Amino acid sequence: MANSMTGNIFEIQKMSTEDGPGLRTTVFFKKCNLRCAWCHNPESFYPEPSIQWFSVRCIGCGTCLKVCPDHAIQMKNDGIHIDRQLCSQCGICVENCPGTALRKLGEEISLDDLYKIVEKDAAYYLNSKNGGITVSGGEAALQPEFTAKFLQKCKENGFHTALDTCGFVSKKNLEKIIPFVDLILYDLKEMDPTKHKEFTSQSNEIILENAIWILNKIKGTKKKMWVRTPLIPEFTATKENIQEIGKFIVEKLENKIDRWDILAFNNLAKDKYHRMDLPYPCESLELFTSEEMDKFLQIAKETGVKNVRWTGLTQK
Amino acid sequence: MVTTEKKDSLSEQQKYKIAEPHDLSPRSKWLRDCYFLGVKREWNNEYMPFTTGLLEDRQFAESDYYIVPEIYFYLGIKSRGIFSSSLSLMAEEVELPKDFWSKSLPERRIIFFEKVMLDKIPQEIIGPELLAGGRFNTQLSKCLNEKEQKLFDKLNLKARNSVFKYHNHGFGNAGATSGHIIPDYEYIIKNGFKSVYNEALERYNKFSQKEKNGPLGDELRAIIQASEIPRKLAKKYAEECKRLANDSNDETRKQELEQMAKNLEIVPWEPAQTFWQAVQSLWLIHMLVIAEESYPGPGLSFGRTDQHLWDLYKKDVIDEKNINKDFAKEILGSFWFHCNTAYDAQMRVGNNGITAGFGQLMTLSGCGPNGEDLSNDLTYTILEVIDEWSPILEPKPNVRLHRNSPDKLLDIIVDMITKSQGAPFLLNFDERSIAGMIREGIPKEDAWDYACVGCLENTMQGNDRSGTVNCNPNLAKSVLLTLNNGKSANQNQNVIMLHPKEKKPIQMGLKTGIAEEFKTWEEFWDAWVKQVKFQIKYTIETYNISEEFRANWMPTPYLSAMVKGCISQGIDVRNGGPEIRFITIEGVGYATLVDSLLAIKKFVYDEKKFTIAELKEAMENDFKGKQEWVVMQSLLKNRAPKYGNDNDKADILAQQVMEIWSQECFNYKTPTNFQFRPGMLSWNYWAGEDAGFTPATPDGRIGGQFLSNAISPTNGADIQGPTAVTNSVGTVLGGKDEDGGYVNYLPNGASHTLTFNPSLLRNPELKEKFKAYLRGYIENGGTSLQINILDASMLKDAQINPEGYQNLLVRVTGYNAYFVSIGKELQDEIIAREMHNM
Repeated sequence: MANSMTGNIFEIQKMSTEDGPGLRTTVFFKKCNLRCAWCHNPESFYPEPSIQWFSVRCIGCGTCLKVCPDHAIQMKNDGIHIDRQLCSQCGICVENCPGTALRKLGEEISLDDLYKIVEKDAAYYLNSKNGGITVSGGEAALQPEFTAKFLQKCKENGFHTALDTCGFVSKKNLEKIIPFVDLILYDLKEMDPTKHKEFTSQSNEIILENAIWILNKIKGTKKKMWVRTPLIPEFTATKENIQEIGKFIVEKLENKIDRWDILAFNNLAKDKYHRMDLPYPCESLELFTSEEMDKFLQIAKETGVKNVRWTGLTQK
Repeated sequence: MVTTEKKDSLSEQQKYKIAEPHDLSPRSKWLRDCYFLGVKREWNNEYMPFTTGLLEDRQFAESDYYIVPEIYFYLGIKSRGIFSSSLSLMAEEVELPKDFWSKSLPERRIIFFEKVMLDKIPQEIIGPELLAGGRFNTQLSKCLNEKEQKLFDKLNLKARNSVFKYHNHGFGNAGATSGHIIPDYEYIIKNGFKSVYNEALERYNKFSQKEKNGPLGDELRAIIQASEIPRKLAKKYAEECKRLANDSNDETRKQELEQMAKNLEIVPWEPAQTFWQAVQSLWLIHMLVIAEESYPGPGLSFGRTDQHLWDLYKKDVIDEKNINKDFAKEILGSFWFHCNTAYDAQMRVGNNGITAGFGQLMTLSGCGPNGEDLSNDLTYTILEVIDEWSPILEPKPNVRLHRNSPDKLLDIIVDMITKSQGAPFLLNFDERSIAGMIREGIPKEDAWDYACVGCLENTMQGNDRSGTVNCNPNLAKSVLLTLNNGKSANQNQNVIMLHPKEKKPIQMGLKTGIAEEFKTWEEFWDAWVKQVKFQIKYTIETYNISEEFRANWMPTPYLSAMVKGCISQGIDVRNGGPEIRFITIEGVGYATLVDSLLAIKKFVYDEKKFTIAELKEAMENDFKGKQEWVVMQSLLKNRAPKYGNDNDKADILAQQVMEIWSQECFNYKTPTNFQFRPGMLSWNYWAGEDAGFTPATPDGRIGGQFLSNAISPTNGADIQGPTAVTNSVGTVLGGKDEDGGYVNYLPNGASHTLTFNPSLLRNPELKEKFKAYLRGYIENGGTSLQINILDASMLKDAQINPEGYQNLLVRVTGYNAYFVSIGKELQDEIIAREMHNM
């Protein structure tokens, strides 16, 4: 039966290899209640579509200036500037930009349309071990009805399903989605509540509570949980933090999670912040070396958690 | 002999280490190093021209090279070009028997061939090798008398003029070239050449006297004589082995040489009794094909060698343990060495596109009649040899994958891909390929046993000559003809200088109407359909001239002895003898064409953003000079749907285009009774002269820029990742039918290239995921995939510091080439190619 329910998403990444087992398609949802300083998807912050200008694609034709009904676009020596106060995100400039230098990130997509897109790669999911669909963001659990229905449809067709969540959502929302996921990718970023609030704008009590709640919920089922910890220099990448998270996993999560990934900081989001005229709090941070990541991994392993791995971008 | 100097430390500027050979036995290392000494070697296998001594005698068969536009200049304009003249000047005279000139042409050619191979070319054993068969790069006289030679020259000029005209007007190229076949090697290894000899004799004796006196008799007598040449040559090599054995003080080597002599007294005449004999037999009968065609091996392929040699490998290595696996690998190592010496042909010319990709292809693994996997221990041993010898160009391996391919094979393949910059093999996909073979009429119960020639061209083994690279039309031309009501300008700037009169467009295509007056997309589409069909017809007319010319004047009875159908019919392999006969039309610039049509449909007809007249004006100016043209180009490039993104809007039209042009090929036959069939290989034409001759196209491409490569999308147009482009490739080949059965419009196969960043394969977990991608490709993709694992910064470094990257292999349209040996433009293109960075 056709389903015209819509979800607010900003990207679909095919042949995704980093968001769960096997080959996957990751769907990135708009909106998030956290504001992590290192967030590499700042386009997910707000529910409205975000218009970005990609300088390398711009031919400087000035079409956008002419078509903008809000007179929000200016061309200066260093390129296109969008007055975010004036811009109503109508997208007319995007539709008319010949070089696709202006792009609107964020669209309402119907469940059927989204499913049609992800279904095209069924052969790759089904030929890999537990390949399938990951919903990520932003925070997919902030659009619980759509996410649940979408994942249900994926599951019915034999695809493995994963929810990538920051955990800062209501149990009511999670309750709707969990029946249709095989795997929960759960972020534990910082154990110190004060620091957590400082780094992400929210304290971590709800997140920790939800982690325990989810674990108890999936106990005895085939569903699995992976914890993921982004290691950000000057933020979360401290020995104490890793040890505390490890302790939490061993004690409060009864060491029953399937895997713990520690993720090396990457600076790939730098351009995104610039394009959105947002300050990038990690502007001056450098990538870790693989030796440093190996050391963090060792610390994590020493906490007693089983199956810890590190992944991500490092210096050569 | 000196060995190559091994560089232990990288030069300071060079940042990356490239794959190196490893674990070679001293013998294999010696042979590999010896090969790479190149011009510094004492021994070599350069072209050796031979003449009958007649004044106008010629050796060089220029029609072999009509598909290599880069060298047209050397073929000559009105008379003999420099290649032909210089070979004639250098040619050594062969003493001919008294009755030579009274014999038929096929017989003369075989008599001449035999004289050269037995009496003129020395039989030498090189270093510690285990297989005899040294020099084979000949340039043989065409064996024509003065009167015949005059007529030959006249017809040759006619063929040349027709293909030059076709080429210079941007249609592509076409010509009857040699190689590109899998002779029935398996039969001869297992039954001996004596079986062929007996069969030919029996056939001949059944002829009526009238038939014996006619062309059937001429051909059969030539085949009978040809069938004895391998035995006579093997005997001479056996004598040389014995001589060396006598002289040798090394007891081990003495025994080896004695065994080599014994082998050569048995094969290729008798069936091979050991693995060693089988490989010896295979090499000798193979090199003689190269010698007879005077064509250094491009596309002359071995077929499913891991199947053909399996029984004897199993007997000697596994069951009876007569030799160990390491020794078997040394035998194969000698084979690898010889295959590469084909390149000595033009060794002084240097490494260029012509000498970098011959493609003596070896097909490995693949399915059996019931879809079961046929990989065996020999498959894995050969893969080990490839891995240890890499980087090396020949023989080019092609690994067949299918739904039941074992994990063990995929693990090895993915590991080998990880280690090398360009995968040291092509992957061929059985289900899609077999669907294509069935589409061209091969019975289902035979089609599973197909194999590949040249790069990735699918044919049957031992009975099929499918002329797999003979016609290479530039499909993008059809949209230009449509826009210009069939008029075509001479697009070769050099020729314009020579013939200024031709600068004005002339009517070469059909008059399909003035495009500016078309009211609807349907009108434009109908006109395009007529033009593309015309283009196929014109390609075939051009091609047929050289096809008929070659069939009449350059028979190859030795090769005919090894292709089923020729003896029973009494007809040469070049004249319609094989059981399975095709000539392949390899469409070039497919995505450029598709994207051009998609852009016209969207902007001119659907959205009416601009008119045909405005588009043409902008194209004529290469989209330069006016702001509106720059904007238009940007729209065409960026805002039209593009093939290669698994986008239905684009791919449905792309599939229609594919079906129309490919089906049209089946409507034609050659005068020699070969059926035309479609494929997509596009060798280097997309980056070479065809691209240079093609003015701006409606997809926003400027004049002279690369066309799209084979079945791959336009460079940079595929932005949805590897799975999306894979799905698109499968879709345009026909996808699957209602019952889930594979459809393949291109029986020859289609070359698909993907470049991945090394980070995709950085750990075992990701390697598992890459295996899943390959299994997904089996379901959704095309027939043939070549994988480059390249880091753009590494290639840029290789451009600046070429000396450090001499062995860096990259894949360019189905053939391996050394990166530093290809032109700057192609290098830039590879660097610019979208990196699928995970």
